[in-house]
Amino acid sequence: MLSHIFGLFINPKQEWQKIHDSECSVTRCYLSYVLILAAIPPVSGYFGTTMFGWQLGARDAVKLSSESALVIAIAYYLIMLVGVFTMGLMIQRMGQAYGAEQPLARTVTLAAYTATPLFLVGVFELVPILWLNFLAGLPALGYSVVLLYTGLPIMMGISEEKGFLFSSAVLAVGLVTLVCMMVATAILWGYGFAPQFVD
Amino acid sequence: MSNETTYNYKVVRQFAIMTVVWGIVGMTVGVLIAAQMAWPALNFDIPWLTFGRLRPLHTNAVVFAFGGSALFATSYYVVQRTCHVRLISDKLAAFTFWGWTLVILLAAISLPLGITTSKEYAELEWPIDLLITVVWVVYAIVFFGTIFKRRVKHIYVANWFFGSMILTIAMLHLVNSAEVPVSLFKSYSAYSGVQDAMIQWWYGHNAVGFFLTAGFLGIMYYFIPKQAERPVYSYRLSVVHFWALAFTYIWAGPHHLHYTALPDWTQSTGMVFSLILLAPSWGGMINGIMTLSGAWEKLRSDPILKFLIVSVSFYGMSTFEGPMMSIKTVNALSHYTDWTIGHVHSGALGWVALVSIGAMYHLIPRLFGVEMYSKKLIETHFWVATIGIVLYITSMWISGIMQGLMWRAINTDGTLTYSFVESVQAMHPFYIVRFMGGAIFLGGMFIMAYNVYKTVSAGKAIQAPIPEPAAAH
Repeated sequence: MLSHIFGLFINPKQEWQKIHDSECSVTRCYLSYVLILAAIPPVSGYFGTTMFGWQLGARDAVKLSSESALVIAIAYYLIMLVGVFTMGLMIQRMGQAYGAEQPLARTVTLAAYTATPLFLVGVFELVPILWLNFLAGLPALGYSVVLLYTGLPIMMGISEEKGFLFSSAVLAVGLVTLVCMMVATAILWGYGFAPQFVD
Repeated sequence: MSNETTYNYKVVRQFAIMTVVWGIVGMTVGVLIAAQMAWPALNFDIPWLTFGRLRPLHTNAVVFAFGGSALFATSYYVVQRTCHVRLISDKLAAFTFWGWTLVILLAAISLPLGITTSKEYAELEWPIDLLITVVWVVYAIVFFGTIFKRRVKHIYVANWFFGSMILTIAMLHLVNSAEVPVSLFKSYSAYSGVQDAMIQWWYGHNAVGFFLTAGFLGIMYYFIPKQAERPVYSYRLSVVHFWALAFTYIWAGPHHLHYTALPDWTQSTGMVFSLILLAPSWGGMINGIMTLSGAWEKLRSDPILKFLIVSVSFYGMSTFEGPMMSIKTVNALSHYTDWTIGHVHSGALGWVALVSIGAMYHLIPRLFGVEMYSKKLIETHFWVATIGIVLYITSMWISGIMQGLMWRAINTDGTLTYSFVESVQAMHPFYIVRFMGGAIFLGGMFIMAYNVYKTVSAGKAIQAPIPEPAAAH
């Protein structure tokens, strides 16, 4: 499963075809791919925030206590697992509107592999400097979008023209989900679930 | 051909060209002040180049000059074509063009001089306010007069949106700009204290709701079906969400004043109506997207359709984000931060600018009887604009949330963790990215200007005959 990563960066179209042909079930897809890759950002984040700390402005880095960082890392991990699955579910549902009915396993696989660059770039969270993560995240996000547009027509078995519209719809759902996450962060933080810092 | 058998395209041409020109002017000022945020020395210690004076110039130029010209151009075009009559008066239409241009020029002179009422989005002093009133009344006469003279019984939904924009803006302008002049260049608001703030944001939010939303939905309802060559997905939905939008928007203003001296129940009312507003907003988005979906086979090859679908997607995203940010708990973090700036620009660049640009690419060749000079350049413009928006919005999101968190971070003894200047310092890299995003978007406008220039020089001002209305069906 992990072997596909390289191909997605070298020759995405061909690799998507291989992924399409390999027919992976939801459980196998999760066990062998999502569980491993989705661990990169939280694990990096855990060590980054406890060992190196956030660097804001010119002052010394602030570190999180390891208990607090652990809670956040676990929540982060779960959100990503649920997020990938939900996106897969959304794609399957929307597929009915676009005349592209596919089994859930395939749409979840599509969501999982599309997120590959975002999982990988999570390694930068070892160095929790916000602007650095932002700059690294932008190209990753861009490449995820490319993967979505190339992969969706292949995985859903529809023409590229129709795939273009479908991918745009998925992207719009993704954007709304992103805004939801921002709002959830703001609300949770406001109600006292803020991380604990080490003075 | 006689005047009565042709459409008045002259005024549409004038406003369409000025849309591109004012777009470049307004966004250039925006890029300059974005650069000043990152590198403050760029005001060169010259008073009229300072951020405080150029910021209202930027907002007025992009909202009223760029957006306004796009609205005048498209509304004049749409009302004639859907009513099958020429505008009722060429002279009055010409007056609105020259009058509006004069307003913009006076704004460009008075704002850098520091002449301001200090009301947001209504900074222009009272003599200019009077001129705006006259121009706007004439605009209403031309628009509604043309509708009265129509040769088809039905009033197409786009005209409802344009009409509500004209009426509501007239009301907002008159109430909000009620002021007591003390000299030629200075007046004071007729209201005081929190009432003044409430009137200000009743105006401010409905400038967004009716000028930047209803008007541009009018554009969407004409130009998306035209460019996609498909009927509106659901005409019934368009009428329902029109009335829902018009009713709900007017109440949402207090969400700009959360946790201020405004009575708490007023704030909560504003928040509740803002949340309700999601439904009519998404009604419009769904109608736009579903209309475009019918033309999926053209989407990949037609860059104008790409502008339109991305604009509607951004409309959907920012009208979701807006209600979320009006929730008091979220607003406690997001207010006064760059998150608001990011939100405004996802609406302004993503929705308003992209739908206007798409409409202009549809309109300009038809006004000059030629094809656009280069389809490839439209495609380039699309990608440049999209990249610019993404950089702008993402940098402001992160910077804004970071600001909010830093400002409210407190130590165990109750003291603030960060000083204000530390949060400013932390934003610096994001301000640079925001400047780059804005500059890239502006670069796209220059590509458009070149493309339009080549198109216009190849074409000629055409006289379009008015077709006979189709028989009733």
